[in-house]
Amino acid sequence: MPEPALLAASDLVALLRVDGREVRVLDGVSFELEPGAIADITGPSGSGKTTFLRALARLLPEVTGSLSLAGTPAEQIAPSAWRNSVALLPQKPAIFSGSVAENLRIPWTLKVRHGASAPTDEALRLALLGVALTDVDLERDAARLSVGQQARVALLRVLLTGPRVLLLDEPDAALDDASADAVGARLREFADAGGAIARVRHHRSDGLATHRYLLSGGSLGAIPGGAPAPEFLHDHTPPSNAEEVSS
Amino acid sequence: MTDTVGGVILIGPAQLALATLFVVFVGILSIRLSLGITRDLAVATVRTYVQLLALGFILRWVFGIDSSWLVVGLVLLMVLAAARIILKRSPDAPPGLFGSAFVSMALTGFLITFAVTGVIIQVEPWYLPQYVIPLAGMVIGNSMNGIALALERMFSDLDRREDEVLALTALGATPWEAAHPAIRDALRAGLIPTINSMAAAGIVFIPGMMSGQILAGADPVTATGYQIVVMLMVAAATALGSVMALVLTYRRRFTEDGVFLETGFRDETR
Repeated sequence: MPEPALLAASDLVALLRVDGREVRVLDGVSFELEPGAIADITGPSGSGKTTFLRALARLLPEVTGSLSLAGTPAEQIAPSAWRNSVALLPQKPAIFSGSVAENLRIPWTLKVRHGASAPTDEALRLALLGVALTDVDLERDAARLSVGQQARVALLRVLLTGPRVLLLDEPDAALDDASADAVGARLREFADAGGAIARVRHHRSDGLATHRYLLSGGSLGAIPGGAPAPEFLHDHTPPSNAEEVSS
Repeated sequence: MTDTVGGVILIGPAQLALATLFVVFVGILSIRLSLGITRDLAVATVRTYVQLLALGFILRWVFGIDSSWLVVGLVLLMVLAAARIILKRSPDAPPGLFGSAFVSMALTGFLITFAVTGVIIQVEPWYLPQYVIPLAGMVIGNSMNGIALALERMFSDLDRREDEVLALTALGATPWEAAHPAIRDALRAGLIPTINSMAAAGIVFIPGMMSGQILAGADPVTATGYQIVVMLMVAAATALGSVMALVLTYRRRFTEDGVFLETGFRDETR
Protein backbone atom coordinates (compact mmCIF):
# COMPACT_ATOMS: atom_id res chain seq x y z
CA MET A 1 0.00 0.00 0.00
CA PRO A 2 1.40 3.43 -0.90
CA GLU A 3 2.16 5.90 1.88
CA PRO A 4 -0.68 8.40 2.34
CA ALA A 5 0.13 11.98 1.36
CA LEU A 6 1.11 14.32 4.18
CA LEU A 7 -1.80 16.59 3.27
CA ALA A 8 -4.57 15.47 0.96
CA ALA A 9 -7.65 17.34 -0.17
CA SER A 10 -10.28 15.96 -2.44
CA ASP A 11 -13.23 17.49 -4.17
CA LEU A 12 -13.19 20.81 -2.31
CA VAL A 13 -16.15 22.99 -3.24
CA ALA A 14 -16.50 26.51 -1.89
CA LEU A 15 -19.18 29.06 -2.69
CA LEU A 16 -18.53 32.69 -1.96
CA ARG A 17 -20.88 35.62 -2.27
CA VAL A 18 -19.29 38.25 -4.45
CA ASP A 19 -21.38 41.40 -5.04
CA GLY A 20 -24.55 39.52 -4.14
CA ARG A 21 -23.83 36.66 -6.56
CA GLU A 22 -22.76 33.16 -5.58
CA VAL A 23 -19.44 32.19 -7.14
CA ARG A 24 -18.00 28.67 -7.08
CA VAL A 25 -14.49 29.73 -6.11
CA LEU A 26 -13.41 26.12 -5.67
CA ASP A 27 -15.21 23.72 -7.96
CA GLY A 28 -14.11 20.25 -6.97
CA VAL A 29 -10.43 20.83 -6.29
CA SER A 30 -8.21 17.90 -5.33
CA PHE A 31 -4.66 18.32 -4.16
CA GLU A 32 -1.87 16.41 -2.46
CA LEU A 33 1.34 17.40 -0.74
CA GLU A 34 4.14 14.92 -0.06
CA PRO A 35 6.77 15.50 2.60
CA GLY A 36 9.51 17.66 1.16
CA ALA A 37 7.25 19.25 -1.44
CA ILE A 38 7.03 22.98 -2.10
CA ALA A 39 3.99 23.68 -4.23
CA ASP A 40 3.50 27.11 -5.77
CA ILE A 41 -0.06 28.11 -6.57
CA THR A 42 -0.53 30.88 -9.08
CA GLY A 43 -3.56 32.27 -10.82
CA PRO A 44 -5.27 35.49 -11.75
CA SER A 45 -6.30 37.93 -9.03
CA GLY A 46 -9.51 36.88 -7.34
CA SER A 47 -9.27 33.32 -8.62
CA GLY A 48 -9.54 31.97 -5.08
CA LYS A 49 -5.93 31.23 -4.12
CA THR A 50 -6.40 32.63 -0.62
CA THR A 51 -9.71 30.81 -0.31
CA PHE A 52 -7.97 27.58 -1.28
CA LEU A 53 -5.30 27.97 1.41
CA ARG A 54 -7.97 28.77 3.99
CA ALA A 55 -9.90 25.65 3.01
CA LEU A 56 -6.74 23.55 3.54
CA ALA A 57 -6.25 25.11 7.00
CA ARG A 58 -9.91 24.44 7.85
CA LEU A 59 -10.40 28.18 8.14
CA LEU A 60 -13.13 28.54 5.55
CA PRO A 61 -16.68 28.72 6.90
CA GLU A 62 -18.59 27.02 4.10
CA VAL A 63 -16.66 24.37 2.26
CA THR A 64 -17.41 20.77 1.33
CA GLY A 65 -15.03 17.99 0.40
CA SER A 66 -12.58 15.97 2.41
CA LEU A 67 -9.19 16.64 3.94
CA SER A 68 -6.71 14.33 5.58
CA LEU A 69 -3.39 14.69 7.33
CA ALA A 70 -0.97 11.77 6.88
CA GLY A 71 -3.93 9.49 6.25
CA THR A 72 -6.05 10.65 9.20
CA PRO A 73 -9.34 12.22 8.07
CA ALA A 74 -9.92 15.80 9.23
CA GLU A 75 -13.08 14.76 11.09
CA GLN A 76 -10.90 12.85 13.56
CA ILE A 77 -8.71 15.87 14.35
CA ALA A 78 -9.93 18.82 16.43
CA PRO A 79 -9.91 22.06 14.38
CA SER A 80 -7.34 23.78 16.60
CA ALA A 81 -5.04 20.74 16.53
CA TRP A 82 -5.42 20.60 12.73
CA ARG A 83 -4.46 24.27 12.40
CA ASN A 84 -1.52 23.63 14.69
CA SER A 85 -0.24 21.01 12.21
CA VAL A 86 -1.43 22.65 8.99
CA ALA A 87 -0.42 26.23 9.67
CA LEU A 88 -1.69 29.11 7.56
CA LEU A 89 0.23 32.35 7.33
CA PRO A 90 -2.22 35.01 6.10
CA GLN A 91 -1.02 37.51 3.56
CA LYS A 92 -1.31 40.51 5.89
CA PRO A 93 1.15 40.02 8.74
CA ALA A 94 -0.74 40.32 12.05
CA ILE A 95 1.40 42.16 14.56
CA PHE A 96 0.13 42.54 18.11
CA SER A 97 1.06 45.29 20.52
CA GLY A 98 4.19 44.39 22.40
CA SER A 99 7.79 43.46 21.69
CA VAL A 100 9.14 41.21 18.97
CA ALA A 101 9.70 38.49 21.59
CA GLU A 102 6.11 38.77 22.85
CA ASN A 103 4.84 38.52 19.30
CA LEU A 104 6.91 35.42 18.63
CA ARG A 105 5.66 33.76 21.83
CA ILE A 106 1.94 34.40 21.26
CA PRO A 107 1.34 30.80 20.09
CA TRP A 108 2.41 29.54 23.53
CA THR A 109 -0.23 31.64 25.28
CA LEU A 110 -2.91 29.51 23.62
CA LYS A 111 -4.62 26.49 25.11
CA VAL A 112 -3.70 24.28 22.15
CA ARG A 113 -0.04 24.43 23.30
CA HIS A 114 -0.82 24.14 26.99
CA GLY A 115 2.13 22.56 28.80
CA ALA A 116 4.59 23.12 25.95
CA SER A 117 7.36 25.55 26.81
CA ALA A 118 7.89 28.66 24.71
CA PRO A 119 11.22 29.09 22.95
CA THR A 120 14.01 30.72 24.95
CA ASP A 121 15.41 34.15 24.09
CA GLU A 122 18.44 32.37 22.64
CA ALA A 123 16.27 30.26 20.33
CA LEU A 124 14.33 33.35 19.25
CA ARG A 125 17.53 35.27 18.45
CA LEU A 126 18.82 32.37 16.41
CA ALA A 127 15.52 32.17 14.55
CA LEU A 128 15.63 35.90 13.76
CA LEU A 129 19.11 35.49 12.30
CA GLY A 130 17.81 32.65 10.12
CA VAL A 131 15.50 35.01 8.21
CA ALA A 132 18.02 37.87 7.97
CA LEU A 133 16.52 39.90 10.81
CA THR A 134 20.02 40.52 12.13
CA ASP A 135 19.40 44.06 13.36
CA VAL A 136 16.10 43.34 15.12
CA ASP A 137 16.34 43.21 18.89
CA LEU A 138 13.94 40.96 20.80
CA GLU A 139 12.77 43.90 22.92
CA ARG A 140 11.94 46.12 19.91
CA ASP A 141 8.36 47.34 19.66
CA ALA A 142 6.98 45.07 16.93
CA ALA A 143 4.61 47.76 15.68
CA ARG A 144 7.59 49.91 14.68
CA LEU A 145 9.16 47.33 12.37
CA SER A 146 8.97 47.77 8.60
CA VAL A 147 6.36 45.78 6.69
CA GLY A 148 9.02 43.41 5.38
CA GLN A 149 10.34 42.83 8.90
CA GLN A 150 6.83 42.27 10.25
CA ALA A 151 6.16 39.74 7.50
CA ARG A 152 9.22 37.76 8.59
CA VAL A 153 8.27 37.96 12.29
CA ALA A 154 4.83 36.59 11.40
CA LEU A 155 6.44 33.80 9.34
CA LEU A 156 8.83 32.93 12.18
CA ARG A 157 5.97 32.85 14.66
CA VAL A 158 4.35 30.12 12.57
CA LEU A 159 7.59 28.25 11.85
CA LEU A 160 8.57 28.11 15.53
CA THR A 161 5.37 26.23 16.41
CA GLY A 162 6.71 23.31 14.38
CA PRO A 163 3.85 22.63 11.97
CA ARG A 164 3.98 19.73 9.49
CA VAL A 165 2.48 21.69 6.62
CA LEU A 166 2.95 25.40 5.93
CA LEU A 167 0.38 27.32 3.92
CA LEU A 168 1.89 30.65 2.93
CA ASP A 169 -0.13 33.41 1.30
CA GLU A 170 2.37 35.48 -0.67
CA PRO A 171 5.17 35.15 1.87
CA ASP A 172 7.65 37.28 -0.11
CA ALA A 173 5.30 40.01 -1.36
CA ALA A 174 6.82 42.62 0.97
CA LEU A 175 10.42 41.37 0.90
CA ASP A 176 13.47 42.67 -0.88
CA ASP A 177 15.60 40.17 -2.80
CA ALA A 178 18.11 39.51 -0.02
CA SER A 179 15.43 38.83 2.60
CA ALA A 180 13.42 36.76 0.13
CA ASP A 181 16.51 34.61 -0.44
CA ALA A 182 16.99 34.12 3.32
CA VAL A 183 13.32 33.19 3.74
CA GLY A 184 13.58 30.84 0.76
CA ALA A 185 16.55 29.06 2.30
CA ARG A 186 14.68 28.71 5.58
CA LEU A 187 11.67 27.23 3.78
CA ARG A 188 13.92 24.83 1.88
CA GLU A 189 15.27 23.69 5.24
CA PHE A 190 11.74 23.16 6.55
CA ALA A 191 10.81 21.05 3.53
CA ASP A 192 14.05 19.06 3.66
CA ALA A 193 13.28 18.14 7.25
CA GLY A 194 10.10 16.44 6.04
CA GLY A 195 7.65 19.32 6.03
CA ALA A 196 5.50 20.35 3.10
CA ILE A 197 4.69 23.85 1.84
CA ALA A 198 1.98 25.33 -0.34
CA ARG A 199 2.66 28.92 -1.39
CA VAL A 200 0.47 31.39 -3.17
CA ARG A 201 2.73 33.48 -5.35
CA HIS A 202 2.43 36.22 -7.91
CA HIS A 203 6.11 36.62 -8.47
CA ARG A 204 8.20 34.93 -11.04
CA SER A 205 9.56 31.52 -10.03
CA ASP A 206 12.30 31.65 -7.40
CA GLY A 207 13.44 28.16 -8.25
CA LEU A 208 12.26 26.75 -4.94
CA ALA A 209 9.06 25.03 -6.03
CA THR A 210 8.97 21.31 -6.61
CA HIS A 211 5.45 21.57 -8.07
CA ARG A 212 3.52 24.39 -9.68
CA TYR A 213 -0.23 24.74 -10.04
CA LEU A 214 -2.60 27.17 -11.68
CA LEU A 215 -5.90 27.95 -9.98
CA SER A 216 -8.38 29.38 -12.43
CA GLY A 217 -12.12 29.17 -12.92
CA GLY A 218 -12.49 27.12 -9.76
CA SER A 219 -10.15 24.31 -10.82
CA LEU A 220 -6.57 23.55 -10.03
CA GLY A 221 -4.25 22.30 -12.75
CA ALA A 222 -0.61 21.24 -12.56
CA ILE A 223 1.78 23.34 -14.59
CA PRO A 224 4.29 21.08 -16.31
CA GLY A 225 7.90 21.83 -15.59
CA GLY A 226 7.25 22.51 -11.92
CA ALA A 227 10.49 20.79 -11.06
CA PRO A 228 13.42 22.93 -10.02
CA ALA A 229 14.49 25.35 -12.70
CA PRO A 230 17.86 24.68 -14.33
CA GLU A 231 19.52 27.60 -12.59
CA PHE A 232 18.48 26.21 -9.24
CA LEU A 233 21.61 24.82 -7.65
CA HIS A 234 20.12 23.07 -4.65
CA ASP A 235 20.66 19.32 -4.87
CA HIS A 236 17.08 18.22 -4.76
CA THR A 237 17.05 14.67 -3.47
CA PRO A 238 13.98 13.32 -1.68
CA PRO A 239 14.26 14.09 2.04
CA SER A 240 15.79 11.19 3.90
CA ASN A 241 13.55 11.49 6.94
CA ALA A 242 10.26 11.35 5.01
CA GLU A 243 9.18 7.97 6.42
CA GLU A 244 9.75 9.10 9.94
CA VAL A 245 7.50 12.13 9.48
CA SER A 246 4.63 10.50 7.66
CA SER A 247 4.33 7.57 10.05
CA MET B 1 -48.77 81.92 45.17
CA THR B 2 -47.10 78.47 45.32
CA ASP B 3 -48.56 75.37 46.97
CA THR B 4 -46.41 73.00 49.00
CA VAL B 5 -46.89 69.40 50.09
CA GLY B 6 -44.54 68.04 52.74
CA GLY B 7 -41.99 70.76 52.06
CA VAL B 8 -42.02 70.24 48.27
CA ILE B 9 -43.21 73.12 46.11
CA LEU B 10 -45.86 71.83 43.69
CA ILE B 11 -45.57 72.21 39.95
CA GLY B 12 -48.95 72.81 38.31
CA PRO B 13 -50.14 73.43 34.72
CA ALA B 14 -49.07 77.10 34.86
CA GLN B 15 -45.49 76.20 35.83
CA LEU B 16 -45.37 73.51 33.13
CA ALA B 17 -46.57 75.99 30.52
CA LEU B 18 -43.89 78.48 31.56
CA ALA B 19 -41.18 75.79 31.26
CA THR B 20 -42.48 74.84 27.84
CA LEU B 21 -42.08 78.44 26.70
CA PHE B 22 -38.30 77.99 26.85
CA VAL B 23 -38.50 75.12 24.39
CA VAL B 24 -40.86 77.10 22.14
CA PHE B 25 -38.32 79.91 22.13
CA VAL B 26 -35.55 77.49 21.06
CA GLY B 27 -37.92 76.18 18.38
CA ILE B 28 -38.46 79.67 16.96
CA LEU B 29 -34.72 80.25 17.01
CA SER B 30 -34.21 76.99 15.13
CA ILE B 31 -36.68 78.02 12.41
CA ARG B 32 -35.10 81.46 12.03
CA LEU B 33 -31.57 80.09 11.80
CA SER B 34 -32.61 77.02 9.74
CA LEU B 35 -31.03 74.69 12.29
CA GLY B 36 -33.33 71.85 11.31
CA ILE B 37 -34.00 70.64 14.83
CA THR B 38 -37.51 72.10 15.22
CA ARG B 39 -39.29 68.87 14.39
CA ASP B 40 -37.08 66.68 16.60
CA LEU B 41 -37.41 69.13 19.45
CA ALA B 42 -41.20 69.20 19.16
CA VAL B 43 -41.45 65.42 19.08
CA ALA B 44 -39.08 65.10 22.04
CA THR B 45 -41.05 67.64 24.06
CA VAL B 46 -44.33 65.85 23.41
CA ARG B 47 -42.74 62.52 24.27
CA THR B 48 -41.40 63.91 27.54
CA TYR B 49 -44.87 65.09 28.51
CA VAL B 50 -46.67 61.91 27.53
CA GLN B 51 -44.14 59.39 28.88
CA LEU B 52 -43.43 61.07 32.18
CA LEU B 53 -47.10 61.89 32.91
CA ALA B 54 -48.01 58.28 32.12
CA LEU B 55 -45.20 57.11 34.39
CA GLY B 56 -46.41 59.37 37.20
CA PHE B 57 -49.96 58.07 37.01
CA ILE B 58 -48.86 54.43 36.67
CA LEU B 59 -46.56 54.71 39.68
CA ARG B 60 -49.29 56.38 41.75
CA TRP B 61 -51.59 53.51 40.81
CA VAL B 62 -48.95 50.84 41.59
CA PHE B 63 -48.07 52.42 44.92
CA GLY B 64 -51.78 52.35 45.81
CA ILE B 65 -52.38 48.70 44.88
CA ASP B 66 -49.57 47.18 46.97
CA SER B 67 -49.07 43.94 45.01
CA SER B 68 -45.77 42.05 44.77
CA TRP B 69 -46.80 40.56 41.40
CA LEU B 70 -47.39 43.98 39.96
CA VAL B 71 -43.95 45.21 41.07
CA VAL B 72 -42.15 42.16 39.67
CA GLY B 73 -44.18 42.46 36.46
CA LEU B 74 -43.20 46.10 36.04
CA VAL B 75 -39.51 45.33 36.54
CA LEU B 76 -39.83 42.55 33.95
CA LEU B 77 -41.40 45.03 31.50
CA MET B 78 -38.49 47.40 32.05
CA VAL B 79 -36.05 44.56 31.36
CA LEU B 80 -37.90 43.67 28.12
CA ALA B 81 -37.83 47.26 26.91
CA ALA B 82 -34.12 47.55 27.76
CA ALA B 83 -33.29 44.34 25.85
CA ARG B 84 -35.09 45.71 22.77
CA ILE B 85 -33.20 48.98 22.96
CA ILE B 86 -29.89 47.10 23.25
CA LEU B 87 -30.68 45.27 20.00
CA LYS B 88 -31.54 48.48 18.18
CA ARG B 89 -28.29 50.05 19.28
CA SER B 90 -26.08 47.16 18.11
CA PRO B 91 -26.34 47.30 14.31
CA ASP B 92 -23.09 45.32 13.85
CA ALA B 93 -24.26 42.46 16.04
CA PRO B 94 -25.24 39.06 14.62
CA PRO B 95 -28.94 38.13 14.52
CA GLY B 96 -30.65 36.29 17.36
CA LEU B 97 -29.20 38.43 20.11
CA PHE B 98 -32.45 39.21 21.90
CA GLY B 99 -32.34 36.16 24.18
CA SER B 100 -28.81 36.91 25.40
CA ALA B 101 -29.56 40.61 25.92
CA PHE B 102 -32.73 39.73 27.82
CA VAL B 103 -31.05 37.14 30.04
CA SER B 104 -28.17 39.48 30.93
CA MET B 105 -30.54 42.36 31.65
CA ALA B 106 -32.97 40.24 33.68
CA LEU B 107 -30.33 38.55 35.84
CA THR B 108 -28.45 41.74 36.68
CA GLY B 109 -31.65 43.82 37.01
CA PHE B 110 -33.34 41.48 39.48
CA LEU B 111 -30.20 40.35 41.30
CA ILE B 112 -28.75 43.79 42.01
CA THR B 113 -32.07 45.55 42.66
CA PHE B 114 -33.31 43.02 45.18
CA ALA B 115 -29.87 42.63 46.77
CA VAL B 116 -29.92 46.37 47.47
CA THR B 117 -33.54 46.65 48.64
CA GLY B 118 -33.52 43.36 50.56
CA VAL B 119 -30.03 43.17 52.05
CA ILE B 120 -28.71 46.72 52.21
CA ILE B 121 -31.75 48.98 52.68
CA GLN B 122 -33.95 46.14 54.05
CA VAL B 123 -37.32 47.51 52.95
CA GLU B 124 -40.55 46.10 54.44
CA PRO B 125 -42.33 44.44 52.65
CA TRP B 126 -39.56 43.26 50.26
CA TYR B 127 -41.36 44.57 47.17
CA LEU B 128 -42.13 48.07 48.54
CA PRO B 129 -42.68 49.79 45.15
CA GLN B 130 -41.53 53.24 46.32
CA TYR B 131 -38.00 51.78 46.69
CA VAL B 132 -37.92 48.84 44.28
CA ILE B 133 -39.14 50.59 41.14
CA PRO B 134 -36.88 53.66 41.15
CA LEU B 135 -33.85 51.54 42.09
CA ALA B 136 -34.68 48.94 39.42
CA GLY B 137 -35.02 51.78 36.93
CA MET B 138 -31.55 53.06 37.73
CA VAL B 139 -29.97 49.58 37.63
CA ILE B 140 -31.67 48.62 34.37
CA GLY B 141 -31.18 51.96 32.66
CA ASN B 142 -27.48 52.13 33.43
CA SER B 143 -26.63 48.51 32.71
CA MET B 144 -28.62 48.82 29.47
CA ASN B 145 -26.31 51.63 28.38
CA GLY B 146 -23.24 49.66 29.43
CA ILE B 147 -24.34 46.44 27.71
CA ALA B 148 -25.32 48.24 24.51
CA LEU B 149 -21.97 50.04 24.40
CA ALA B 150 -20.01 46.88 25.14
CA LEU B 151 -21.81 44.75 22.55
CA GLU B 152 -21.59 47.38 19.86
CA ARG B 153 -17.92 47.80 20.59
CA MET B 154 -17.10 44.09 20.64
CA PHE B 155 -18.71 43.30 17.30
CA SER B 156 -17.34 46.35 15.51
CA ASP B 157 -13.93 45.65 17.05
CA LEU B 158 -13.96 42.03 15.87
CA ASP B 159 -14.65 43.26 12.34
CA ARG B 160 -11.92 45.84 12.58
CA ARG B 161 -9.44 43.23 13.84
CA GLU B 162 -10.44 40.44 11.48
CA ASP B 163 -6.83 40.02 10.32
CA GLU B 164 -5.62 39.50 13.88
CA VAL B 165 -8.51 37.15 14.61
CA LEU B 166 -7.66 35.10 11.51
CA ALA B 167 -3.96 34.96 12.43
CA LEU B 168 -4.74 33.83 15.98
CA THR B 169 -7.23 31.23 14.80
CA ALA B 170 -4.64 29.97 12.30
CA LEU B 171 -2.25 29.54 15.24
CA GLY B 172 -4.81 27.29 16.91
CA ALA B 173 -6.65 29.84 19.06
CA THR B 174 -10.14 29.02 20.28
CA PRO B 175 -12.88 31.59 19.57
CA TRP B 176 -12.56 32.81 23.16
CA GLU B 177 -8.80 33.30 22.74
CA ALA B 178 -9.18 34.96 19.34
CA ALA B 179 -11.95 37.28 20.56
CA HIS B 180 -10.39 38.02 23.94
CA PRO B 181 -8.70 41.35 23.02
CA ALA B 182 -12.00 42.62 21.60
CA ILE B 183 -13.95 41.37 24.63
CA ARG B 184 -11.55 43.05 27.03
CA ASP B 185 -11.70 46.40 25.21
CA ALA B 186 -15.48 46.18 24.90
CA LEU B 187 -15.86 45.65 28.64
CA ARG B 188 -13.71 48.68 29.29
CA ALA B 189 -15.75 50.75 26.83
CA GLY B 190 -18.99 49.69 28.53
CA LEU B 191 -17.72 50.59 31.98
CA ILE B 192 -16.01 53.89 31.23
CA PRO B 193 -19.12 56.13 31.47
CA THR B 194 -19.98 54.63 34.87
CA ILE B 195 -16.43 54.93 36.18
CA ASN B 196 -16.19 58.50 34.89
CA SER B 197 -19.41 59.52 36.62
CA MET B 198 -18.24 57.89 39.85
CA ALA B 199 -15.02 59.88 39.65
CA ALA B 200 -16.80 63.17 38.95
CA ALA B 201 -19.70 62.69 41.39
CA GLY B 202 -19.79 65.35 44.08
CA ILE B 203 -17.12 67.45 42.40
CA VAL B 204 -18.53 68.26 39.01
CA PHE B 205 -22.21 67.54 39.63
CA ILE B 206 -24.70 66.46 42.26
CA PRO B 207 -25.89 63.00 41.19
CA GLY B 208 -29.54 62.69 40.13
CA MET B 209 -30.85 60.68 43.02
CA MET B 210 -29.17 62.89 45.61
CA SER B 211 -30.51 66.04 43.90
CA GLY B 212 -33.98 64.54 44.01
CA GLN B 213 -33.82 63.68 47.67
CA ILE B 214 -32.44 67.11 48.57
CA LEU B 215 -35.20 68.80 46.56
CA ALA B 216 -37.70 66.63 48.40
CA GLY B 217 -36.40 67.98 51.69
CA ALA B 218 -34.08 65.18 52.81
CA ASP B 219 -30.98 65.85 54.87
CA PRO B 220 -27.98 66.06 52.48
CA VAL B 221 -25.96 63.53 54.50
CA THR B 222 -28.81 61.01 54.44
CA ALA B 223 -29.06 61.57 50.69
CA THR B 224 -25.32 60.89 50.40
CA GLY B 225 -25.69 57.40 51.83
CA TYR B 226 -28.33 56.52 49.28
CA GLN B 227 -26.34 58.00 46.45
CA ILE B 228 -23.23 55.99 47.33
CA VAL B 229 -25.25 52.78 47.45
CA VAL B 230 -26.82 53.63 44.09
CA MET B 231 -23.51 54.42 42.41
CA LEU B 232 -21.86 51.22 43.60
CA MET B 233 -24.95 49.27 42.62
CA VAL B 234 -24.95 50.80 39.14
CA ALA B 235 -21.24 50.03 38.68
CA ALA B 236 -21.73 46.42 39.75
CA ALA B 237 -24.80 46.00 37.55
CA THR B 238 -23.09 47.49 34.51
CA ALA B 239 -20.00 45.31 34.91
CA LEU B 240 -21.97 42.14 35.60
CA GLY B 241 -24.46 42.75 32.79
CA SER B 242 -21.75 43.60 30.25
CA VAL B 243 -19.60 40.57 31.09
CA MET B 244 -22.61 38.32 30.83
CA ALA B 245 -23.80 39.80 27.54
CA LEU B 246 -20.31 39.60 25.99
CA VAL B 247 -19.71 36.01 27.11
CA LEU B 248 -23.14 34.92 25.91
CA THR B 249 -22.78 36.48 22.45
CA TYR B 250 -19.18 36.51 21.14
CA ARG B 251 -19.43 32.90 19.94
CA ARG B 252 -22.16 33.83 17.45
CA ARG B 253 -19.60 35.39 15.16
CA PHE B 254 -17.70 32.09 14.88
CA THR B 255 -18.62 28.84 13.15
CA GLU B 256 -18.84 25.58 15.02
CA ASP B 257 -15.25 24.90 13.89
CA GLY B 258 -14.15 28.16 15.50
CA VAL B 259 -13.72 30.20 12.32
CA PHE B 260 -14.53 33.89 12.55
CA LEU B 261 -17.33 34.89 10.18
CA GLU B 262 -15.92 37.84 8.31
CA THR B 263 -18.25 40.24 6.56
CA GLY B 264 -18.04 38.29 3.30
CA PHE B 265 -19.17 35.03 4.92
CA ARG B 266 -22.28 36.35 6.62
CA ASP B 267 -25.85 35.77 5.78
CA GLU B 268 -26.94 39.38 5.95
CA THR B 269 -30.54 38.68 6.87
CA ARG B 270 -31.34 39.70 10.40
